Amino acid sequence: MNENEIELKIQALVDGELTGREAEELRARIETDAALRELRERLTAVRGLMAGAELPRTLPESGDFHWSKIAQGIEREEREAKRLAKPASGANGWLRWGMPLAGVACLVLVLSLQQTTLPDLDILFGDGHELELTADEIDVMTFNTGDDAMSIVWLDYSIDLRQDSLQLWLD
Amino acid sequence: MTFSLHSLMSRFTVLVALLLLVSGGFVAAQADSITVQARLVHGTSKEQKGKMEVSAAIKKKLARVFKWMHYYQLNSTQLNIADATTKTTKLSKTASIKVTNRKNGRIAVSLYSKGKMLVQKTQTLRPGSYMVLAGNTGTDSAWFIVLSKSK
Repeated sequence: MNENEIELKIQALVDGELTGREAEELRARIETDAALRELRERLTAVRGLMAGAELPRTLPESGDFHWSKIAQGIEREEREAKRLAKPASGANGWLRWGMPLAGVACLVLVLSLQQTTLPDLDILFGDGHELELTADEIDVMTFNTGDDAMSIVWLDYSIDLRQDSLQLWLD
Repeated sequence: MTFSLHSLMSRFTVLVALLLLVSGGFVAAQADSITVQARLVHGTSKEQKGKMEVSAAIKKKLARVFKWMHYYQLNSTQLNIADATTKTTKLSKTASIKVTNRKNGRIAVSLYSKGKMLVQKTQTLRPGSYMVLAGNTGTDSAWFIVLSKSK
């Protein structure tokens, strides 16, 4: 053990940090060594001086500072809960109804988009075509286009395409 | 800002229920009313500047069947027809049509010329499909009455 280590050990002994067998061995060694004894006495004296010179220090907060903080937190949460439980007013009210309304609007939008993006089933005229003629002298031909999107009645008859002058005037 | 999930969900449920109720009533009220668009179209090989062409969709369908290259819309009218009722519209000086709503998208169209009924066609008309009454004119052209159901 070098000199520095011995000094540290003696300092620990003076501070009461050594216990048991280690402390006893060091005490025995000090009793047999005058230099060590002197060192112990010096350190003990310094310790005594420092203990007397220490300034009293007070905590910036009271002892139950943390408990008071917890209590304040609980009170704040209770106040918040009471505030939310009150009937909505102003912007709060708008948001309370606005958010579900926005949800409904999104639902409607999705449904309408789905409706418009449904595959075009196109036409299946199939059944129920009825044709009635009152002028026997007119030749008639009926047919559907290949994709069934258009049914056509072709008449061997010319109609006047000119517009009614009164209607044109009204337009 | 925090709202309870339960509160939001209950409001959402109420609004959806209201929406369904209102839309159900609206659909029920509108179910039997149809809107039919009737157009008088002149098909010709000659281009006629200044005249309005039919929509591209109709032109495409007509040109696929008939030989004419140009289709001009001479008249167009929209008929909103309640269930089991008939509406009449005049498309030209001498031609007019009567359209009857016979429920479930089924319509009967009667073509009149000079006050005389030429033909009556009855069929189910779905949105996107067309009923066409047509015929030739004196010159190298044709007339078309194109009926479609609005969505």
